[in-house]
Order: sequence, then C-alpha cells, then structure tokens
Amino acid sequence: MSNLILRAEKIGKNYKDKEVLKELDLVLEPGKIYGLVGRNGAGKTTLLSILSAQARASAGGVYLGDDPVWENQQALNHICFSRELGMAGTGANAAIMGLEAKDYLKLAALFRPNWDQKMAERLVKEFRLDVKQRLNKMSKGMLSMLTIIVAMASQAEYTFLDEPVSGLDVVAREQFYKLLLEEYTRTGRTFVVSTHIIEEAADVLEEVIVLKDGKIILKENTCSLLQRAFYISGKKEEVEQAVQGLRIYHKETFGRSSSVVVLLEPGQKIGNRGNLDIQPVNLQKVFLALCGKEDSDE
Amino acid sequence: MQMNFSSDKSIYVQISEMIENQILRDILLEEERVLSTNEFARMYSINPATAAKGINMLVDSGVLYKKRGIGMFVAIGAKEKIMKRRKSEFYDNYIKKILEEAESLGITREELVEMIVEQKGGKDHE
Repeated sequence: MSNLILRAEKIGKNYKDKEVLKELDLVLEPGKIYGLVGRNGAGKTTLLSILSAQARASAGGVYLGDDPVWENQQALNHICFSRELGMAGTGANAAIMGLEAKDYLKLAALFRPNWDQKMAERLVKEFRLDVKQRLNKMSKGMLSMLTIIVAMASQAEYTFLDEPVSGLDVVAREQFYKLLLEEYTRTGRTFVVSTHIIEEAADVLEEVIVLKDGKIILKENTCSLLQRAFYISGKKEEVEQAVQGLRIYHKETFGRSSSVVVLLEPGQKIGNRGNLDIQPVNLQKVFLALCGKEDSDE
Repeated sequence: MQMNFSSDKSIYVQISEMIENQILRDILLEEERVLSTNEFARMYSINPATAAKGINMLVDSGVLYKKRGIGMFVAIGAKEKIMKRRKSEFYDNYIKKILEEAESLGITREELVEMIVEQKGGKDHE
C-alpha cells in the first residue's frame, strides 16, 4: 500500500456541448469505503472513469500523491475501475461482450499487476459463476458478479465499483457487502462504490459523496451526516417558527400541517420544539432531500 | 448474522446498546473478550469505523477496557454500572413518554397505576 491520497483538481468534462462535470474537486483518502450517489446522469460513471484515467478530463487533473495519473502506469497500477458490463456498445465493447467469462478474467489479470488469481477462483465458486459462458449470454446479475470479482481480485489500492449490486438479488447483494467488508478489513484498501440502493449500503459506507449536476454537493462521514439530519412535522406555523434561519430541504404542506427536512450546521439547533414531531432521517431520505425535486423550496 | 438496525438511532449507538444488553443478560460475562471492531463489521455488515465508535463509547464509560494487543474485554463491575446508569435514565426514556401519551389520551394517573399493578390494558380493552 502506498498510502497516497487520490485527488481530483477542478476537473471538467464535456461530451460535445454537454457539460457533465464542472470544476469538480475531490479528495479520496486511503483506507476508507466511500459511497458515490447521485441521480441518473449526474456524472458518477464519468467521474470514476476520469479518476482511473479511463477517460480524459476536458479540464483539470487527477493526482495520486503528487503525480498525475493520466498515462502514468505506475500510478494506475494502484487504481482499478471495474466498469459495469453489458452497456450497449460497438467496437471494443462488443468484442469484450463476445468473450467467455474465463477469458475476460484472464484479460483483466493481464492488466492488473497485483492480480490475486486464488481470490478470483474462490469468488467464481462462491458466486457459482459459469466461466464458460459468453458475456453477451449472461444475465445482468452474472455480469455484476463478474465486475465484482475483477474489482476484488485486482487488489488495487483504490478500487471503484460502478453500480455493483444493480443486477443482484437480495442474497447476492448481502454476499457482496460482506465480501467488501471482509476485503476492506483484511487489506485496508480504499473503495468507492456507486449505488442507487442507498439505504442498503448506508451502514457499510464510512463517507458518502453526493454528486448533482456534475458537482459534488456533499462529502461527509455518514454517521455525522445522519446526526444532523432531521424530519420535522406538525402544525404549519409551528414548523415554520422552529426552522427559522435553517436551511430547509424538503418542504411539504398539506392543509394545516407541514413537514420539512433540515440539515443542521454547527451551532444551529431546531427552535421551539413544542408539539412538533422531530425524527431522525435515513440516508435515502437525506439524498431525496438533497437531490429530489425542489418544488416548494424556500 | 443480521442485526435488525432501526433508523431511529445511530448505528454506533445501537452497537453499544447491543453489547450492553448482552452484558445485562449474562450473554457476555465480566472479563470476557468482546468481538473486535473488524469482527463486528464483518458479522453485522457495517463499516468498521462505525463499530469502533460504538465500542469506544463503552470504553469511555468504563464498561469495556482494552488489553493492548489482545482485544477488548468486559470490565469488572460493568453490569452493575450499566444497570445503575439505565435506572437513572429510566424516567426520561420510558416513564416520561408514557405520561405524555396518557395525558393526551385522558388516562388518569390512577388508571395508569392500576394498569401497572394489574398489568392489563385500559377499560376499553377488557
């Protein structure tokens, strides 16, 4: 382990005239499990691609320690992005999908200097994956398993998983979180896991990174984030009074009642609690508050 | 093993309460080793940092103590300590809520006492 920080500095990315990432700064510290969440099209996959030099940023740079990662094999040996397989594609992508799983794994091993073949074989068995099957004949779940195996066996210090659980059933998802924690506690590698199944992953994530419209709007320790998030409901006037001066995220009004989600900043507190109902909020609801439709905000 | 964590409380608080409950119920005995942070993390599928936070709370309150290089152990007198603290919190955590709910339902103190003594529900349920 090199124990170097991975840092993105003011990266931007345009696809034709669409700006996908905007002056994005990010610091990933070694030895943490990060969750990357955001709505479809927020730029998650693009960000992971650029962090792993699989795509080039239109602006800014990515550094491992002090060295840029772009075209830097030394640095890239420490970074593995196991892409989601099965996206419609032509050319190289179509060729990959025509491979048998065992050949795909061999190919992955070629590119990964610290490849753990024993682990790959063990996981193939654990997931009961038929390695003689071609990728384009595999179900979404089986493709997810394959990307998980590549990520784990890569033994890269920084390992990125893009929607690893999206095709998996509940049992396999549990298996994945267990595997992730086993590998993490064994090696202390850094993982970045993007997911839409937020609540399920919440307990596993040390920090959560929220991406919205090409920008990181929040990066925080999961526990401390949840400790300052509250759902407040009650009589409209009383709610309004209690949250005066606070940033309100998700306001709903119905007749005489009203409810809001607030994230308290240091030193802030909820005003007169009176007859109000104040409850903790789970990570999924915090995400909804941050990224949901801002219809009645302010 | 799966722990049925609720979203009402932080996971680390629930971890520390779970260990305390195991001590109260003699599932964990004094001077016995408790699971390590990593063992907790793997067993309950939670981040080790969260597990550590819960365990450290118990170290701070003297329920657990650290043996360097060996692990975390239940302190002598831990059970008594937990009982004492929980008794002092019993009014705030339980009684207060009961009184509030009783008041909004119009249950009198006498009825409440009767329910506790007789251990049965209000008149409507008989």
